[in-house]
Amino acid sequence: MDLSLTPGQQMLRDAARDFLTREYPRKVIREIDETESGFSPELWRQMVDMGWVGMILPEEYGGMGSSFTDLGVLYEEMGAACLSSPHHSSVVLGGLTILEAGNDKQKKKILPSIASGQRILAFALTEPDYGWGPGSVKLAATRKNGHFVLNGTKLFVPDVQVADQILVVARTSSRGSPETGITLFLVDKGTAGLSSRILEGWTGDKLSEVIFNNVEVPASAVVGRVGGGWAPLERVLEKASIAMCAYSVGGMQRLLDISVEYSQNRIAFGVPIGTFQRVQDHVIEIVNDLEAARWTTYEALWKLDERQSDAPLAISMASVIASEGFPHSAEAAHRVHAGIGIDKEYGLYLYTKKARSLQHYLGDPVHHRKQVGRLLGM
Amino acid sequence: MDFKPEYTKEQEEFRKEVRAWVEENARYPEELGPIPLSSGDMSREMWLWGRDFQRKLGAKGWYYPTYPKEYGGGGLSGDKDIIIKEELRRVEHPVAYSMVSMAAPALLVYGTEEQKQRLLKPMLRGEMVAWQAFTEPGAGSDLASLQTRAVRDGDDFIITGEKCFIGGHHEPDVLWAPVMTDPDAPRHMNLGAFVIPANLPGISIRFQNLVIREGKRAVTFEGARVSREYLVGGETQGWRVIQSSLEIEHGGGGSVLPEDDPIVTGALEFCKKTLRNGVPLSSDPAIQKEMVDLYIEANVHRLIGMRNHWMHNNNVPGTYHGSQNSLVGKYTALRSAVKLLNALGPFALTVDPKWGALEGKVEDHQRHTLGSDHRGGTIDVQKVIIARRIGISRTRERAAPTRAQAG
Ligand SMILES: Cc1cc2nc3c(=O)[nH]c(=O)nc-3n(C[C@H](O)[C@H](O)[C@H](O)COP(=O)(O)OP(=O)(O)OC[C@H]3O[C@@H](n4cnc5c(N)ncnc54)[C@H](O)[C@@H]3O)c2cc1C
Repeated sequence: MDLSLTPGQQMLRDAARDFLTREYPRKVIREIDETESGFSPELWRQMVDMGWVGMILPEEYGGMGSSFTDLGVLYEEMGAACLSSPHHSSVVLGGLTILEAGNDKQKKKILPSIASGQRILAFALTEPDYGWGPGSVKLAATRKNGHFVLNGTKLFVPDVQVADQILVVARTSSRGSPETGITLFLVDKGTAGLSSRILEGWTGDKLSEVIFNNVEVPASAVVGRVGGGWAPLERVLEKASIAMCAYSVGGMQRLLDISVEYSQNRIAFGVPIGTFQRVQDHVIEIVNDLEAARWTTYEALWKLDERQSDAPLAISMASVIASEGFPHSAEAAHRVHAGIGIDKEYGLYLYTKKARSLQHYLGDPVHHRKQVGRLLGM
Repeated sequence: MDFKPEYTKEQEEFRKEVRAWVEENARYPEELGPIPLSSGDMSREMWLWGRDFQRKLGAKGWYYPTYPKEYGGGGLSGDKDIIIKEELRRVEHPVAYSMVSMAAPALLVYGTEEQKQRLLKPMLRGEMVAWQAFTEPGAGSDLASLQTRAVRDGDDFIITGEKCFIGGHHEPDVLWAPVMTDPDAPRHMNLGAFVIPANLPGISIRFQNLVIREGKRAVTFEGARVSREYLVGGETQGWRVIQSSLEIEHGGGGSVLPEDDPIVTGALEFCKKTLRNGVPLSSDPAIQKEMVDLYIEANVHRLIGMRNHWMHNNNVPGTYHGSQNSLVGKYTALRSAVKLLNALGPFALTVDPKWGALEGKVEDHQRHTLGSDHRGGTIDVQKVIIARRIGISRTRERAAPTRAQAG
């Protein structure tokens, strides 16, 4: 047994940490967050230059063939900085779906441009009838003269505002079990009948409503098999979930660091507030959430890389812990900070709203608990 | 025991009177624009309308219904206070009429007769808005360590320092502020409590950009000259004086919360109406647990607040009760945000007119409750006070005098 990172992973971590602490302190993250698109082209370019964008994709498609643990190391640092970028939508969800489900032609054409950051994908699964299982996919794709016509609404979709194309999870048939009629489409954002708008509010990333009103796409827009979309997608969703767990681990680590520092420096009644047991309790809650999330996440990443058959169980378990732990840690950090914690300049809130959004992203804790139950044969 | 306040015929008559008056005077004029999600986003025109309304309410004695009539209160019973609040709640306002001043209870106990006429009366009559200016960048929970200085100069005091997390919408008339009058005196014996006119030269007020929509301000005093007439209580008695404010702020006066809290009722309706795969969200056991607990906790908080309201208005002495009301309120607020997010998911995080739960009110609640933990004393501080008053702390203390002891 060896629970340490490899030298290569340590290098990746240190480089990411140095870069992000230097160039993307909370003040800059907040400035990006307050722009209309929430997107920084400059940051995206830097991520490409550092090799982060293509990393997880195979070398033959312009990537680096990195392991999921490598990706986890990077996501942890991105989470620590509370970074917003289309990386997860475009590469992890989009890229990996093309890789899992696409044909050779699609892979050759699409993946290199995803890896180079030139093409950005959004990923649209959830709808007004909200949920992350196949049964919640209602958006209808019907055949018409060798084309497909898409009708319906996708809701709470991240990164649509910066995407070139949207990977749409649609329903081509409602017969049989919910999984059987799912088909994946890659749709140009400019296609006639497709409209989107950002939903204002307290969300970690900009989320959009995307309306499909008789959106006609060619048969070549289908990724994988008609009606065969769910199986590859399920594998991608697992990987996407564990990447976000790693992101949350990083976020919780930073919440801990900020809270420890504040506890040591803030003086009340002549002593640092960290000497009050009540304040210690808040900090201890964070450290417990953090370590639970960290080790369930690391083990799941390892199982995924080792292709162990119980990796899905480990991933769902980590997802329960991380999706609850991150917002819970943010609340504890607010208790440590009291007044200053709600000051926008201080920037603690960036983590809070990110954590609250992520709690439901890719399935909420209830969804993941059901998965754990199912995988345990319950 | 009787949990219904309106049990006598006379009180039913009173309710009719209040209702008719509210119908006539409290209708918000639509032409001032739609009422925003948070009072922090209220326009100046709306605010001015609200101030006007406060004055009308004050003129009836209904702004501070239970305060003595001779100082502008209503001289009414606690039950009638409840009736007034219930009737006012029937109409929607941009201004929370309950934004009463924390200076009033201290003035009532410690003000001179002249100060009661000059300062308390206009406050109770809704003519003078007072913001509580206690907190400083370096002094929150440990309020007694505050650094804002008042230096005697003849019959005046020259005030210098900084306060934060203050107010309030638009602008105040006065600032209710403890400041250091004697830096050489021991802790708790070194403060004076002032009602400071906000328009004095040397006072500047800056908006603080917070997560909550409600506006809070930082106030800077640069040699503001305040007459001695505005000092409430003795020159070094300020710590004692402000305890009467804190007692009320910490929940000692109680609260009259509706049985149908709009967020709770609204969220219940949302879950009953919203279908997931053809079945109501509310039939999912996981959602049911969140919503039922939300409902129960809101009712516990309501009852604890009602208990304090009853005690306060019947001169029943309390110990831990004030802080308990505050603590339960804080727990309820924070947990309700968590439960609503659990149950409603991303619908709880958007103000989008089409998709935001309860027209965005839940999103506002998500932000707002992040402040509820800390305002008027943190969760930890309420616990410290409760422990002292139960008698299990190294330090013992008793409740500060409020209206019940003043009369
Ligand atoms: C929404 C909002 C509205 C407000 N409105 C006003 C207002 O109108 N007027 C006004 O004057 N102020 C106002 N405040 C300020 C508020 O009173 C303070 O934020 C609060 O008293 C806490 O002080 P602080 O923020 O400096 O935190 P600190 O006192 O620095 O506390 C930091 C941490 O230390 C803990 N701590 C401190 N002392 C102890 C102790 N002895 N034992 C255990 N734990 C301890 C706290 O619980 C907290 O976890 C408002 C604050 C908020 C958030």
